Amino acid sequence: MRTQGPKGAGPNRINRPGTFEADALACVDSLYRTALRLTHVPADAEDLVQETYLKAFRAADRFQEGTNLRAWLFTILHNTARNRARDRARDTVTADSDAVERADDSSGAWPQAGLAETPETLLLRETLTPDLQAAVEALPGPFRQAVWLRDVEEFSYAEIAEMLSIPVGTVMSRISRGRRLLFDRLQHLRPVNV
Amino acid sequence: MSDCTSIDPHITPYIDGDIGVHERLLVDEHMRVCPPCHSRVAAEQAIRQLMHTKRTELAGDTASPALRSRCAALQRQRATLSLTDSGGGANAGAGLASAWRTRLVPLALAAGVVAAVGGASMYVLTGRSSQLLAAELTADHVKCFGMNSLIAVKDDQAAAESTMTSTFGWHMPLPEAAQRAGMELLGARVCLYGRGLAAHIMYRHNGQPVSVYMIPKMTRSDAVVDIMGHEAAIWSSGGRTFVLVAREPEDVARMTAVIQTALH
Repeated sequence: MRTQGPKGAGPNRINRPGTFEADALACVDSLYRTALRLTHVPADAEDLVQETYLKAFRAADRFQEGTNLRAWLFTILHNTARNRARDRARDTVTADSDAVERADDSSGAWPQAGLAETPETLLLRETLTPDLQAAVEALPGPFRQAVWLRDVEEFSYAEIAEMLSIPVGTVMSRISRGRRLLFDRLQHLRPVNV
Repeated sequence: MSDCTSIDPHITPYIDGDIGVHERLLVDEHMRVCPPCHSRVAAEQAIRQLMHTKRTELAGDTASPALRSRCAALQRQRATLSLTDSGGGANAGAGLASAWRTRLVPLALAAGVVAAVGGASMYVLTGRSSQLLAAELTADHVKCFGMNSLIAVKDDQAAAESTMTSTFGWHMPLPEAAQRAGMELLGARVCLYGRGLAAHIMYRHNGQPVSVYMIPKMTRSDAVVDIMGHEAAIWSSGGRTFVLVAREPEDVARMTAVIQTALH
């Protein structure tokens, strides 16, 4: 398995000297939409992004030129979100809960092997964007984060592992389970006799 | 033939096309004889393709202009801090004094603009933004005292009040009780932070920097925030929000009480 990120993952793969601030600020849209996936509340997402920039600018001296600035900012974003969740003691469901993953194991998300139709083709053709968005939002946090960071923000497994402070193997496992959950939920949205 | 368990770690890299030739052949071979794994791969591939097809629409949320502006303001604060950090000699101090004064001009212009659009009433009042407010003002506190240590500005009370009134139209008599309590006035200025303008009164107490910020047309719940090695007390009075920033919690509590009593 290669560990490099996919192509086309944003403008900040290579950082040039003297452009730290401009490159960092160019990531505000992707940071905001990822924060929105974490908080579900626009005002909270804005606060999270702003705190991320505050920390990033303060820690700019620790950023290593030539490494991925965008991934570094995303790591700060997720660390900040985790710290906030930890601070709120009433949030007893943690994003990294093994229980969440075990619970998903028993969800029976496998598509049926013997179907004469090709459900995958139907899914691709018929799924509407709002349905996909709703299904993504409905995913448990750990799977939503992993799928989002991989399939929308296009980070590598290693980068996601760094952001979420989990092993690479767990990243792949969450992406896989997240995709299966999405498939299962979107299948249920389709008419039965298609 | 490989079993499902040994194939499992290769499935996601296989779907993402992020796998070596040998592992790909192993997965291909296994899928030919294992319908469940074949179905799994087909389902996950379909979702991956769907996500990529609709990626642009999924990524449609964009940051608001206000958020962009606030983040850019943080960057400008950082640039000013760097300027302060890099200084040190007499020449640097002279240069910074010039920069300091020059900065007041755009601030005055910004005051008019902000007043025209409602100024600090742009605040989104969330519990978390109290922490952000404290962080922004604490950063400003550090920056302003860093700057002041180089150019050694010291205004008397009349001059400080006059600055607020004549330049920005804010009539803000400074509480004399603060100076009776041992808070030595250094000066007053208007600082631009993330979401608007704040009057910044700079004091020194027992040799330590103390800042009192006043933000007009905004109220928020009382809070004490431990931030960046400082403590910030936030409270509201008379339709304004006050933030007192200092390093020692005991000093913050005592001086907050002094200021609050004086305001009443």
